[in-house]
Amino acid sequence: MAQAVSILLSQELVVLERAVGELRRRNLPIESIAVGPAEAPGMSCLTVILSTDEAGADMTAKKLNKLSGVREVKRFPLDDGLACELALIKVRVTEQHRAELLDVCELFKATVVDETPDAGIVQVAGTGSLVLAFIRALERFGILEVARSGSVALPRVSADAGAATPAP
Amino acid sequence: MTEVLTGAQILCRVLVEEGVDVIWGYPGGAIMPFYHALPDHPRLRHVLVRHEQAAAHAADGYARASGRIGVCVATSGPGATNLVTGLATAHMDSSPVVAITGQVARPMIGRDAFQETDVIGITLPITKHNCLVRDVTELAQRAREAIAVAREGRPGPVLLDVPKDVQNQRTSYEPAGRETVPGRARSVPPCPPPRPLSEAAAEAARLIAAAERPLLMVGHGVILGDAYEAVRRLAERTGIPVITTLLGISAFPESHPLHLGMPGMHGEVHVNRAIQHADLIVGIGLRFDDRVTGNTAGFAPRAKIVHVDLDVSEIGKNVPTTMGIVGDAHQVVTALLAAVAPRDCVAWLEEIHSYARPRQERYRGDLSPEHIVAAIHDVTRDRGTIVTDVGQHQMWVAKLYPYQRPNTHITSGGLGTMGFAVPAAMGVQLARPHGPVWAISGDGGFQMNLQEIATMVQEKIPVKMAVFNNGYLGMVRQWQQFFHGRRYSATPIWSPDYVKLAEAYGIAGWRVERVTELEAVLAQATAEPGPALVEFVIEQEANVFPMIPPGATLSEPIEAEPVTTAGD
Repeated sequence: MAQAVSILLSQELVVLERAVGELRRRNLPIESIAVGPAEAPGMSCLTVILSTDEAGADMTAKKLNKLSGVREVKRFPLDDGLACELALIKVRVTEQHRAELLDVCELFKATVVDETPDAGIVQVAGTGSLVLAFIRALERFGILEVARSGSVALPRVSADAGAATPAP
Repeated sequence: MTEVLTGAQILCRVLVEEGVDVIWGYPGGAIMPFYHALPDHPRLRHVLVRHEQAAAHAADGYARASGRIGVCVATSGPGATNLVTGLATAHMDSSPVVAITGQVARPMIGRDAFQETDVIGITLPITKHNCLVRDVTELAQRAREAIAVAREGRPGPVLLDVPKDVQNQRTSYEPAGRETVPGRARSVPPCPPPRPLSEAAAEAARLIAAAERPLLMVGHGVILGDAYEAVRRLAERTGIPVITTLLGISAFPESHPLHLGMPGMHGEVHVNRAIQHADLIVGIGLRFDDRVTGNTAGFAPRAKIVHVDLDVSEIGKNVPTTMGIVGDAHQVVTALLAAVAPRDCVAWLEEIHSYARPRQERYRGDLSPEHIVAAIHDVTRDRGTIVTDVGQHQMWVAKLYPYQRPNTHITSGGLGTMGFAVPAAMGVQLARPHGPVWAISGDGGFQMNLQEIATMVQEKIPVKMAVFNNGYLGMVRQWQQFFHGRRYSATPIWSPDYVKLAEAYGIAGWRVERVTELEAVLAQATAEPGPALVEFVIEQEANVFPMIPPGATLSEPIEAEPVTTAGD
């Protein structure tokens, strides 16, 4: 089962490098990795989705929590949380398939964010598997380029706050 | 009082304020401003090593022997990369080393400048913390932080990379108040203990009371946490036999009736059998490293495990634990002492002793490792510190030298760094100027860092060096004999004439080939006021027994030479 590990760390690149290096060294299968600014100033949030069991995620979280520059590490099984990924897909658009493309977009709650007579960019957000399914559905139109963000994740409000290990 | 100082002066001042008295280093372009400031700080004794790797090992040895931080200094580029093995050694064995490296000036960083290397990137995985100082105004704080992080919690190496122009920059300097360092970097343990220690101790005490075959396994954490007395009292109060891991050797007196010995790959048969028959193992300050556990699937199959460690991320890492207690060894063992009821384990101890086998080693030739270790013990007794390298001699010394006093056995455990003993012993000697310090190596490891004899001579560091010369990289040769059909690929190793080598360096040197020569030579070496070198010519194909083959469980020792067919 996939496990989410969410790491609040200083936004310095060396700290990010330290955290990513720790993940690499522990040799765990990483499904997705995403980094963006955190709520707190000067901090980033690194979200990692691991294909491992709870014990594996727990050990990873503890090792990450030791690193200097890491403020807090949370982990939770993805089943107890929400994960979301953003993707931009540049796709070929022809007049005859335009309506069909819009139908597919509607099905996946995707929006067309840029368009020329020959091509368009559609934006979709959702779980990694939804994004993948959407990309597959677009293949028949002709995909020109794809940009995916990797997943961010939060534990569900109803779930326990995850196994948070706050700094002293 | 505020003064305006250069970055280099600030570095020196911080080191002095933190009580540093020895620095191991090697100058070069990017660290020259620091070396320019150094002579103005006579409290900082600088030892010029012959290779930066030795600076890191010496700082490590100094730290392990003194319980204080060890400091090494190198220039950018090759100077910094030469520190790497020493830092990795200190990292694996939790030793508080602070490395200061020069870096090219800030405008040159990222331009592949002369002697530029990304030492921060290189040392990320082998330091507890590292930091490039970007401006002189933050230098004092970063330097104090580096020292604090290295020594607090589970100790470890920290590297501070200081660009040359930052060393030359000036800023106002405030001497440190005794206030704590504002924490940007922080160290373990990050988590508050999950519950009060007394509660955890009470639960552990119930497990101890219920156990019929309990064992204490003690590691380096007992030495780092100065918990010898507490551990001895715990053992005596409960009668639980004590096993010491390689880095736990000398954490418990070996003459004590409850002392069993070293576990694991080269542990005695009765020690490993005790583990396999135990119903409770209380592990204190150890990592359950693979050389200790053998195949973890078959490790201590009947035992509940209580794991005490300062680092929460060690608990459950290698072996599943019944209960983890996060905390400093001294604190936790003291709490355990208050919680346990007095008991004994007489029947269990008798059972363990019934597992013991007479030593199976058969040495051909006159001079056996047993003779040598016994003779070194005779001249060092309880006054000396033994620093070992890595390989067969390391195991022989670990198993045969009867350590009594705390922290008198120093070796490279986790990383297994050949070449460690000679430079580390220099650090140990300066930390313990009055006690004899012996650096024991094989002929392989000794030749990795023998250049440091020159450092010992120049700095009058009277380390006694013992070389076990069997003409092979012995431990690798042993594996080749057992597991590779005796194909001695690249393990025969030629040595120079060590007596002449000693002479070339201007120190005393001896070659010992017969038992009858041992006593006199060791007495002379001991009486020598300066460094001395003694070569022991031993049987070429001597082996370390017993041995748990890699991948096997502790129940499957090899106790004598297996019959092998050449070339199979």
